[in-house]
Amino acid sequence: ILRKLKSQPDKELRLLLLGLDNAGKTTLLKKLASEDITHITPTQGFNIKSVQSEGFKLNVWDIGGQRKIRPYWRNYFENTDVLIYVIDSADRKRLEETGHELEELLMEDKLANVPLLVYANKQDLLHAAPASDIAEGLGLHTIKDRPWQIQACSATAGEGVKDGMEWVCKNIKKK
Amino acid sequence: MGNCCSRFGLPKIASSKSHLKNVVLLLVGLDNAGKTTAAKNLIGESLETVMSTVGFSRVSLTHQGCSVVIYDLGGGPKIRGIWHRYFADAHGIIFVVDASDVSRLEESHQVFANLLSHEKLEGKPVLLLANKQDCEGALDEVDIVDLLNVEAVVNQHRCPTIVEMCSATTVRKSHNKLDPAIRNGFRWLMNYIIREYSDLNSRVESDMAVQRKQIEQEKKERLERIRKAREERGESMAD
Ligand SMILES: Nc1nc2c(ncn2[C@@H]2O[C@H](COP(=O)(O)OP(=O)(O)OP(=O)(O)O)[C@@H](O)[C@H]2O)c(=O)[nH]1
Ligand SMILES: Nc1nc2c(ncn2[C@@H]2O[C@H](COP(=O)(O)OP(=O)(O)OP(=O)(O)O)[C@@H](O)[C@H]2O)c(=O)[nH]1
Ligand SMILES: [Mg+2]
Ligand SMILES: [Mg+2]
Repeated sequence: ILRKLKSQPDKELRLLLLGLDNAGKTTLLKKLASEDITHITPTQGFNIKSVQSEGFKLNVWDIGGQRKIRPYWRNYFENTDVLIYVIDSADRKRLEETGHELEELLMEDKLANVPLLVYANKQDLLHAAPASDIAEGLGLHTIKDRPWQIQACSATAGEGVKDGMEWVCKNIKKK
Repeated sequence: MGNCCSRFGLPKIASSKSHLKNVVLLLVGLDNAGKTTAAKNLIGESLETVMSTVGFSRVSLTHQGCSVVIYDLGGGPKIRGIWHRYFADAHGIIFVVDASDVSRLEESHQVFANLLSHEKLEGKPVLLLANKQDCEGALDEVDIVDLLNVEAVVNQHRCPTIVEMCSATTVRKSHNKLDPAIRNGFRWLMNYIIREYSDLNSRVESDMAVQRKQIEQEKKERLERIRKAREERGESMAD
C-alpha cells in the first residue's frame, strides 16, 4: 500500500543498475535514453537518467562496478523498486564472481523482496552463455523470496533492452 | 488430522495461527502453456500484464487456513533446467498443457514423464490443466490423458492426479474472474494436501534441509574457485 501511495500518483520508479565493471551498465543506460554510446568510459561514481516506459517515469541509477567501488553500492539501496543486475554473458571466467556479488546484494535488508531483473548482456558475442547456464552460474535458483527474470540482450545493438523494461513495469504494476 | 487442539476449546485465533499450514505448489509446463495466466486467474489479477517467464515468479493466497505460495516457473527449453531446484519445497504440482497445440504434445509428454520421475516429486499430488479450451481444435480430457500417457506415468510414480479442462483467459466478473475448472482443480489439490499434510510436510522439510546443506556446500566451493581465479589474475581476495 505504501508503495502504491508513493508511486501511483506520479508513477515514478527507482531502478538500481548494478553489476561488475565492464558488464555494460552505462552502455545500457545510454541506450535506454537513446543517447550516443561511442564514448563510454568506466564509471567512477554514478550516472542517473530518467526514461519513460509504459507510462512510468523510470529513474535509473547506474553505479560503477569496479571492485574498489563496489563497497559504495550500499549507499544507493534505499527505496529501490527493482534491482537490475547486468552481466557480461561472454565473461564466463567471472560468472561465479558476479554471482557471488549478487548473492551478497540479495542478503541486504534494504533490498529484501525487491524484484530482480538480470540483463544477460553481450549476447551478440559468439561465446555468450545461454539463460540456463547463467541461472546456474549466478545461483539464481536459490532465490524464492522475490520474482526474478533473465533478459538476454545486447546493449550495443539495443536488442532485448526494451523487453527488460517492460518486465520491470509489469512486475511493479501489480504491487 | 493434526487439528486436535481446536476441539479442546482453544481460542480460535490461537489455534488457527498455530496450525497455519504453509503449502508450496509447483506450477510448471511448456512455455506458452498458460501457467502465469492461470496463476493470475486464480488470484483474480489482471491478465494484461502477462509476459513469458524466463525465471521465477510467485503468487500467494490463503485457502482454508493454509498460506499457499505458487512457484510459477519459466517453461522455455532454455530455462527448464532450473525447475529441479524448486522441487524440494513443493507439496503438490500443477502442470499446464496447451491443449490446442497438438504439435507440442509429444514434448509436453516427455517433460511431464520426466518431471514425475524425479525422486523429490514422486507420490506428490498433481493437478493437470488442459488449458486453452476456448481455442478451436483444443483436445478434451480423454485425448490429453491418452496422448500424454497420463495414466501410465502417474501410476508408475504413484501421483494422485486430477485432470481439468480450462481456459485460463476466461474472465467472469460474477465469479471473481475465476475459471471454475481451475478453481475445482485447485480445491481438489488443496484438499488432498491438507489431508496428507503431516506426511507431505515432513518430507518437504527434510528434503529442504538436505538442499540447504547442499547449497551451502556449493557456495563454499564457489567461493574457493573465485579465490583461485583471482589469485591467477594476481588480485587478492581482500582489498
Ligand atoms: N559486444 C558487446 N559489447 C558491449 C555490449 N554492451 C557493452 N559493451 C562494451 O563493454 C564495455 C563496457 O561497457 P560499459 O557500459 O562501460 O560497462 P559498465 O558496466 O558501465 O562498466 P563500469 O562503469 O566500469 O562498471 C564497453 O566497451 C562497451 O562498448 C554488448 O551488448 N555487446
Ligand atoms: N486463447 C487462450 N489463450 C491463453 C489461455 N491461457 C493463456 N493464453 C495465452 O497464452 C500465452 C502464454 O501464456 P502465459 O501464461 O504467459 O504462458 P506460460 O505458461 O506462463 O509461459 P512461460 O512463462 O513462457 O513458461 C499468452 O498470450 C496468454 O494470453 C487460454 O486459456 N486461452
Ligand atoms: Mg559504467
Ligand atoms: Mg509464465
